[in-house]
Amino acid sequence: MKKLLIFMLLLQTAVLLSGCYDRKELEEQAYVISIGVDMTESEDVFRFTFEIANPEVGSAVSSPSTQEPVQEVVSVLGTDFLSATSAANVSVAKEISLDQVRVVIVSEKLARSKKFIHLMQTAPSIIDLKLNSQLVISKEKAEEFIRTNKPKLESRPHKYFQYMLDRAKETGVIPEAPLVRFFQITEGDADLFLAPFATTKKDPKEEYGAEDNYKAGEVNIKGGNSTQFIGSAVFKEGQMIDILTGEETRFSLMLDTTLPQQDIIANYTDPLRPGFDLAARVQADKVKVKIDYKPTGKTNIDVYVSMHMNIFAVPSTQNYMINSKNRNILHASLQKQLQEEGEKFIKKTQEKYKLEPFYWSLHIRSKFLTIKDYEKADWANKIYPNANVRLHVKVRSLEFGKLLRESDLRKVRD
Amino acid sequence: MELNKKPLRIRELTAMIFMIIGLKGGDTTPALFADHAQNAIWIVPIISFLFLLGPFLILMHLLKKYKNYNLIELIFHLIGKKAGTLLALLLFTCGFIAMFTDMRNVMEEINYLYFPNSPTLVIYVIFLTICILVANKGLETIGSLAWALLPVIIVTIIAVIFVDLKEAVLVRIFPLFGGGVGTVLFEGISKSAAFLEIFLITIAYQSFHQTKYFHSGIYLGGSLSFMLIVSFYAVYAMLFDYNSINNIAFLYQEATEIVALGHFFTNISTLFMVGWMFSNFLRFIIFLYLICWIFGAIFEIKRFEGLLLPIGFIAMILSLIPPSFVVNEMFFRERSLQIMTPIFFLFPFLLWVASYWKDRKK
Repeated sequence: MKKLLIFMLLLQTAVLLSGCYDRKELEEQAYVISIGVDMTESEDVFRFTFEIANPEVGSAVSSPSTQEPVQEVVSVLGTDFLSATSAANVSVAKEISLDQVRVVIVSEKLARSKKFIHLMQTAPSIIDLKLNSQLVISKEKAEEFIRTNKPKLESRPHKYFQYMLDRAKETGVIPEAPLVRFFQITEGDADLFLAPFATTKKDPKEEYGAEDNYKAGEVNIKGGNSTQFIGSAVFKEGQMIDILTGEETRFSLMLDTTLPQQDIIANYTDPLRPGFDLAARVQADKVKVKIDYKPTGKTNIDVYVSMHMNIFAVPSTQNYMINSKNRNILHASLQKQLQEEGEKFIKKTQEKYKLEPFYWSLHIRSKFLTIKDYEKADWANKIYPNANVRLHVKVRSLEFGKLLRESDLRKVRD
Repeated sequence: MELNKKPLRIRELTAMIFMIIGLKGGDTTPALFADHAQNAIWIVPIISFLFLLGPFLILMHLLKKYKNYNLIELIFHLIGKKAGTLLALLLFTCGFIAMFTDMRNVMEEINYLYFPNSPTLVIYVIFLTICILVANKGLETIGSLAWALLPVIIVTIIAVIFVDLKEAVLVRIFPLFGGGVGTVLFEGISKSAAFLEIFLITIAYQSFHQTKYFHSGIYLGGSLSFMLIVSFYAVYAMLFDYNSINNIAFLYQEATEIVALGHFFTNISTLFMVGWMFSNFLRFIIFLYLICWIFGAIFEIKRFEGLLLPIGFIAMILSLIPPSFVVNEMFFRERSLQIMTPIFFLFPFLLWVASYWKDRKK
C-alpha cells in the first residue's frame, strides 16, 4: 500500500513537472499583432517593427480606468524574424509571442529588392508565426506605416487589421495574400503573386476617375485615418515588380479560380448617357478556364466568366427597368465594358509582365503526366506570353434594386 | 497471458488496426513519401497497398488453413523450430526498428510543435511510461480503449478534412504522376514496409471470440485505414503545391495551421492536437504490446507483459541515437524500410511453399 502511494505521488510530480517547462502565463506574454520589415544600409540586416497590443484596452471585462496606451511599437535590427524577436525583448518586459500575428508589413523598397525572398524563407520554420497571416506591402517604410496608422474608431489593433482587410476584400480592391500563398506561388514559379498595397501617405489624384482606378495613397479622402488599402503589389519570382490599381486587382481576383468569389460593387458607364455612371453590385460565378495546349504553336486559353449584376443607382434616370429595348442596350453594353477592360488587363499581363496573376498555370497541369514534362513545357516563359487568350464574359442576369422606375427628372425640373 | 473468455470482437480489432495503420496519415510518413513523389504522394500508398495485398492474402489464407496457430506458431509449424526462430526473429527485429524510428519521429513532433522548451527525454519517458502502464493491462483493455477513443479520433479526422477542403485546390493533384511514373512506383514498392504492422497484428489471430471475427476485422480495419491514408495524402497534395510539399516535415500540423475558421478562430490547430495525441498514445501502446507478444511467442515466455519495460526502454535508447529528426526520418527510416520491404514481401510466399511441400509429403 505504502509503495503504491509513493508511486502515485511520484507519477503526479512527473505529470506536473512536465508542464513546467512549457508553462505560459497569459500575463507574461506580449502579443504582437503586426510585424513591419524594412531595409537597412547593410546587407542581410533588416529593421523589424513589432506592434504589441495591450489586451486590457477595449475589452468589456477590464476596468475602464486603465491608463495604459492601446499599443506599444518597438523597432529593432535583426537578420530574421526570430532573432529580431529576442532582440526586441531587450526593451519589452514580457515575453514576445508571435502567435497572434495577423499581418506582416513589408516596405515597398524591401519588396522590390532581391533580399526580400531570403527574408521570407526564414518565416515558415518559426513555429509561432502562423502561415495564415497576411502579407501587406506598404508604400513608405513599414515602421512609419505602423507608427502613423492610428485608427480612430477601432482602437484595438488586431480588430482594425481584421476589419480593414475584410472590408477591402469585399469590394475586391485588394487580394487575399496569406503567407502560405506566397510560398505556393513563388515556389511554383509559374504565376505572379499579388499582395495588398497600403500606405498612410496621401498623394491624391485631383481628378475623380472611376472609384476603383486608384493605387493606395491616391484616393482623395479627408478626415479619418490616413491609412489606405487599395491596389496590389505584383511579385514575380519573389520580387516585387509593379503595382496594380484597385480595378486591375479586382479583375485578377475575378479570373482566379482558387479564390472564393465575393460580391463587389463597381461603377460602369451609362450606355445611353455616356457622361453618367451606373453603380452595380457584381456577383461572379466561378470562372471556367479551358486550355487547349499545343506543344508547337500558339496555345488557346478560353476563359468563361458569367456574372449576375444588380444595378443599384442610375443617376441619369434612364428607364432601364421597364423598357426592354433600353435594357437590352444596357445588357450588351455592360458585357462589352467588362469584356474590353478584362481583355485590356490580360493583354497588359502578357506584354508587360509576361506572366499572369490568375494562377492559371494550375489548369494546364492536367495536360502533363509528370512534373518534369510540365516544367519542361515552361508555362511562365513559353506558353503564357505567346498564348491566345480569349475572354468570354456573360452577364447572366440583370436586376434593378428596389425601385420599379426612376422618377423622370425632366418633369421635376418643370 | 491466456485469454480464456476471448471477449474481443470485430469492432475492437477494426479500431486497433485503424489506430496502428490508418494514423500514418497524420505522422511523418507522408513527408517521407513526398520527398520524391511530390504531389503524387497519394498514389504511393495505393501502390504499396497493391504490392502488399498478394503476400497479405496468402498469409491470411494460411492462417485460415491451419486454424489453431497465430503468426509465430504458424511459422514454427511450417518451417520447423530452428529456421522458424530465425525468420520470426527477423520479423521481430523489423517491427522493433520500425517502432522505435516511428516513436522518435512522433516524440520530436510533440516536442518541437507543442512543448518546445521541454527536453525530449522527459517527454519520451512520460510517453513511454503511459504506454507501458496501459499495455500492461492486456489486449482486452487495449482493444476496448481503442474502441472507446475511436469517436474522438473520427471527429478530429472529419473536422480536419472539412476545414482543409475549404483551402484545397483540386487541380493541384495534377500532373498526376508528380515526380515521374517510375519514381512513384519505386517509392510505393520500396517503402511499402511502412505498413508492416498489418502483418504483425496476425499474432493476435487466436485472441478473438471466433477466428472469422479476425478476418472481418482485419479487412474492414485495413480498408478503412487505406481510405483514410489516401484521402489525407490527397488533401495534403491539394493544400500544398508540389514544390512546397516536400519541404514540410509535419504535414498534418501544417495543414491545420494554415486554415482559419472565419475571423475569430484563427489559430485552430491546437483543437486537432487532442485527437492526434490520443491516437499516438494508442498507436504505440498497441505496437509495443504486439512487439513484446512476438518476442514472447518466439521464446515461449507466457507472461510477456514483463517484457514491456525492457523492450520499451531499449527502443527509447536506440531511437535517441540519430542526431536529429531529419536524419532519423530521411536517412535511417528510409533505408530501413527499403531493407524491410523484401522481407515482408517474401516471407508469406516462403510459408506458402513450405505448406505446399508439407501437403505433398503427406
